Amino acid sequence: MRAYFSVFRMRLRMETQYRGAMIGGIVCQVFFGLILVALYRALYAGNPQPVPIEHVATYVWLQQSFFRMLTSTDPDLLDKIRNGNISYDLCRPVSMYWFYYVRAMAQKLMGSMMRGIPMLIFASLLPKGWGLEPPASPAGLVLALAALVPGFLCMCALANLTMGITMRTLDPRGISAMLDLLMISFSGNILPLTLFPDSWQRVLSLLPYAQLLDAPIRLYTGEYAPIEALRILSVQIVWAAILIGLGKGLWNANRRRLIVQGG
Amino acid sequence: MMNTLKLYVKSMGMLIRSHMQYTSSFIMQMLAQLVMEGGEMMAVILVVDRFGSLKQWTGGNLFFFFGMMSVSFYTTEIFGRGITGNFPSMVRSGQLDTLLIRPRTIFFQVLCSGTDPRRITCIAVGVASLIMGSAMSGVVWSLPKALALAESILMSCMLILGLFLIEAIFSIHSVKSVELVNAITYGGRSACQYPIDVYPGPLKVLFTVVAPFALTMHVPAAYILGKPLYGWPAWTAFVTPLSGAAVLAVMIVLFNRGMRFYRSTGS
Repeated sequence: MRAYFSVFRMRLRMETQYRGAMIGGIVCQVFFGLILVALYRALYAGNPQPVPIEHVATYVWLQQSFFRMLTSTDPDLLDKIRNGNISYDLCRPVSMYWFYYVRAMAQKLMGSMMRGIPMLIFASLLPKGWGLEPPASPAGLVLALAALVPGFLCMCALANLTMGITMRTLDPRGISAMLDLLMISFSGNILPLTLFPDSWQRVLSLLPYAQLLDAPIRLYTGEYAPIEALRILSVQIVWAAILIGLGKGLWNANRRRLIVQGG
Repeated sequence: MMNTLKLYVKSMGMLIRSHMQYTSSFIMQMLAQLVMEGGEMMAVILVVDRFGSLKQWTGGNLFFFFGMMSVSFYTTEIFGRGITGNFPSMVRSGQLDTLLIRPRTIFFQVLCSGTDPRRITCIAVGVASLIMGSAMSGVVWSLPKALALAESILMSCMLILGLFLIEAIFSIHSVKSVELVNAITYGGRSACQYPIDVYPGPLKVLFTVVAPFALTMHVPAAYILGKPLYGWPAWTAFVTPLSGAAVLAVMIVLFNRGMRFYRSTGS
């Protein structure tokens, strides 16, 4: 346990190093957020929708702020897979799966905190209908934060699952890239899930991708009432367990037939 | 000039052959690109499904604008990969030095150094969207309209290449603000796949004056769709796109100036 904790801490520190890239990233992400909100406002003009524009703007800002949580991958592990150094990891007296799981946790947590918090502050200063609205209710905020925890566990599990596939294909640009695209599309990053056709939403909200950020955001905006929280949280926890189970299974299978590159 | 063109075609041929060496990987990557651009298009389809229209633009119009952007953007990435992708790493690795001793301009050699044929599937999505958009909008094609489309795509490619050159210039001076430039190129792509007149003032100014996607793309597209942007006369659809060539020309001059400050990193 202590080993994993120190891996986590080391990775956290590393993530705080690249401050220049961080500022560029924030500006870029804020700009994208503004474009998206401007677009949705134009679409809403003359076509009112059941979901109010304030909720859509809030949705966009929360998605943009936690963008790094969704997409960041572990470049070191990718290198190790490609050059064969992954064999050294087999010698470590810790579970390889959990070793990289806590690394992903630290990377995603710190990366999105450092970018997300300034962005959320900025977004909450924007005028009404453009920026981040306060949560629907205090209970909504607490439940949204609670839902972020299993959502976050799902995200790290998905990252490891993709890595497990990359260990087999050795090339992160094929199947793994497609899985990432599925995630970006169905997690509500390209288009808020609340704007998908209603019949799709019933299915999509049960997929693992909706558990990451969509479920917490809907609790925050009040799209999901606090009474439903128990059901939503249990769906999330079940998915987290399934994804971790699948990932661990895949990594264990990979251990037995690991392709070590290089010579 | 002919000789230069022959060199370009030859290096493209070599690069494409090298991409084809790993056939299955290449096909997988092409499919991944298809899914990616298909996903982008799905977002537009879903937007049209939910909202029906965007101010005065119908769903079909929106598909047409989307198609213009993806065809232009990914054509640039196929032919200009040297600029859009490889250049910063060429500077970092010192590989750029080898280009300094050859009897062709740096810009041309960098252009010859890369291609990205995987993007062909993205262009296919764009073409499908253009056809769908034009059919749904009931566009009656004529020679001037076809010419406007061709000019618009060509000029938009030049504009996009010019914008990517900014990134290249930054990387010569080893300024680490690549992500800021991304805000203009990729942000421009995201924003301008929808017509410019739906955006508020500052964004309009940015994408008309600084990065004139509106001039190279939206003015001619609106003319083709028979809904002139801001009610401008038809001849503007042929004149304003030339701003793309102007941006590229300015950027090439700045790039050549920037190269004077190039210090090798190699040893």
